[in-house]
Amino acid sequence: MPTNEYVITLCDGPSCLHRVSREVRDAVEESLEKHGKSDSVRIHLSGCLGMCSKGPIMIVNPGYTIYGKITPEDAVNIVEQHIVNGQPVADKVVNEDHLYNRFFRIFGDNDFFGKQMRITLRNCGIIDPENIDDYLSLRGYEALAKVLTDMSPQDVIDEVKKAGVRGRGGGGFPTGMKWDFTAREQSDQKYVICNADEGDPGAFMDRSAIEGDPHTVLEGMIIGGYAIGASKGIVYIRAEYPLAIKRLEKAIADAKEHGFLGENILGSDFSYDLEIRLGAGAFVCGEETALIHSIEGSRGMPRPRPPYPSQSGLFGKPTLINNVETWANVPVIILDTGEWFSSIGTEKSKGTKVFALAGNVNNTGLVEVPMGTTLREIVYDIGGGLPEGKKFKAIQTGGPSGGCLPAEYLDTPIDYEHLAKAGSIMGSGGMIVMDEDSCMVDVAKFFLQFTQDESCGKCTPCREGTKRMLEILTRITEGKGQEGDIEKLERLGNMARKASLCGLGQSAPNPVLSTIKNFRVEYEEHINESKCRAGSCKSMLSFVITDACVGCGACRRVCPVDAITGGRKEKHVIDQETCIKCGQCFEVCKFQAVEKA
Amino acid sequence: MATPLDIVKKKRAQAVSKIISKGYLSTKRVYVGMATCEIAAGSKEVMAVFKDAMAKGLTDVYLSQKGCAGRCNLEPTVEIVEEGKIPVKYGKVDEKKAREIIERHIKNGEIIEEWLI
Ligand SMILES: Cc1cc2nc3c(=O)[nH]c(=O)nc-3n(C[C@H](O)[C@H](O)[C@H](O)COP(=O)(O)O)c2cc1C
Ligand code: SF4
Ligand code: SF4
Ligand code: SF4
Ligand code: FES
Ligand code: FES
Repeated sequence: MPTNEYVITLCDGPSCLHRVSREVRDAVEESLEKHGKSDSVRIHLSGCLGMCSKGPIMIVNPGYTIYGKITPEDAVNIVEQHIVNGQPVADKVVNEDHLYNRFFRIFGDNDFFGKQMRITLRNCGIIDPENIDDYLSLRGYEALAKVLTDMSPQDVIDEVKKAGVRGRGGGGFPTGMKWDFTAREQSDQKYVICNADEGDPGAFMDRSAIEGDPHTVLEGMIIGGYAIGASKGIVYIRAEYPLAIKRLEKAIADAKEHGFLGENILGSDFSYDLEIRLGAGAFVCGEETALIHSIEGSRGMPRPRPPYPSQSGLFGKPTLINNVETWANVPVIILDTGEWFSSIGTEKSKGTKVFALAGNVNNTGLVEVPMGTTLREIVYDIGGGLPEGKKFKAIQTGGPSGGCLPAEYLDTPIDYEHLAKAGSIMGSGGMIVMDEDSCMVDVAKFFLQFTQDESCGKCTPCREGTKRMLEILTRITEGKGQEGDIEKLERLGNMARKASLCGLGQSAPNPVLSTIKNFRVEYEEHINESKCRAGSCKSMLSFVITDACVGCGACRRVCPVDAITGGRKEKHVIDQETCIKCGQCFEVCKFQAVEKA
Repeated sequence: MATPLDIVKKKRAQAVSKIISKGYLSTKRVYVGMATCEIAAGSKEVMAVFKDAMAKGLTDVYLSQKGCAGRCNLEPTVEIVEEGKIPVKYGKVDEKKAREIIERHIKNGEIIEEWLI
């Protein structure tokens, strides 16, 4: 077991890799071996470190010394001087101090964190979210001060445009453009809204970001207000997030006390205030026009756009609405520059994205990766692969509006375009890994059930379409599927996609259509052979007792409906007519004599 | 006149000195994860163990809470940062483990390998 006297981090990101970091790695390994340090120094490969122009990059911890433009000879040198003799090699040190770096200093020494890059979550898990001093000590509110000191509103918008950041709430609309549109509107009153509704089942990115670092979101929103000429901001957050709300309230009060909110912020002539509005927690209320209705006090129902909120939003006034994560990027863009931000990610998708990784993976949790990281890296490097040696079957991205991608797509780089091309979406960042025991028809049914429940009912294609589709899916999973059901699902799905008013109805068919596209045989098996290969659709399942049975009687005793008969030390038998498929006999048998068929 | 930037820089300096006066430069900094889910998994109790130990005379420790660091399947998490050393992260900490971390790691400098993340 390495004692971790030092951890050497080598960048394995796309740009550094192209600069022969493999040779650097070999050189480091050989040199450590030579000096007998292999056991006390851990080498660790990370994702892009955001310093590509100085790559290949090597970091030595503790001490967090960053070395840039490393050749294999430099690497040998660093091992000898720094690791063996404790003297950093001064002329190779990079003195770049990006905001997110400190995260890496504390966490970047294992696979889970090393492949990540935390910009949005840079302080999350590091600072005490209830203490403004912690935030201030890490350059908190400096971006706001910089903006007020020497940037015009237009400068700020230009910087955000340069960053190339796109909305993290799902749609991926270029943020700078949205700011620009709203800034151009003439009005006596404008509003800024932070969308913290987060209705996707299983998603908790926004909640965690607010709970871990509320000031970052506030700072982003104040800067946004300055850029578009608003004097009022509103955080719309669901009432089910009490801790996030409490920390936001404290953060707002502390920010007021320090003069970051209120009249004449930091002595400038910019005045701006923030308040919190609680949502009742309906998925559709996350849709921007429904959200605005909800704040106005009416029912949260979407309306057709245009006019967009940037023209006519809250109370008919120009309104800038962005997602929590989008706002959290703003202070970084201002302090580290838009140019730096745009050096991270892919051609059309810049920066990082936060995902809530869940399902059948070893490491579940909140992860933030540079755009362009592949699904495989997330599942296997960060996620640590699937538990119990199970086989990967699919990954679902984008929550109820997203799609399921099979193994062929594991090398898809994550960004808005590639995911869309693969037949799924980025969405707000739910990511669920599924193993061979997941039934794709059932998964589609689960998500459709959710959207069907959450449909506001305003338009027929969404209200009726999802209902009919759900009926068909239910039928299929119950073994009553009919010839032509798949085609019917496709027809209904395409109709709802085209004819629904808002994104909920438009995207509701996605899980169904993508599973039909990628796992059509499973639908066919269900319909034609009454077979569920994952063994998860109960009605198609039967439990049978094999010759391995020793007649212990455990299953007979546990069966709630007395479906099992057999004497002591005799092979037991299940009466299929009586069996309700609860699976308890399967669970209880110590001899693996009960099989699912 | 002081610009907004001057004001914020001054505030930062004050914040830093306030944090230091709370013992930030102590030899060991202990961070307990306190996100909703961590609290649900029992991190408040873990925090209480550390607070209690400090009230009863445990010195040279700076105790703080933090939000989600992403290891949601291993919470509650406790992290111990020491200047000049690789930070140590413990997962699935309960009250009993917390007491042992205090005895073995904080007081005796022993890293408890089997609980490491
Ligand atoms: C049904 C539906 C639900 C949505 N839920 C959310 C949500 O929970 N959070 C969010 O930020 N955006 C959500 N959106 C997207 C918003 O309408 C809007 O595009 C977004 O808040 C804009 O912010 P951005 O540009 O920063 O992404 C949802 C959209 C639809 C159609
Ligand atoms: S698509 Fe669905 S959720 Fe959206 S407005 Fe129509 S009925 Fe309501
Ligand atoms: S529990 Fe298993 S071994 Fe025992 S009687 Fe039932 S099937 Fe046979
Ligand atoms: S599945 Fe349940 S109901 Fe059927 S035989 Fe086993 S225990 Fe009895
Ligand atoms: S790829 Fe290495 S720093 Fe970006
Ligand atoms: S949300 Fe709990 S540690 Fe991540």
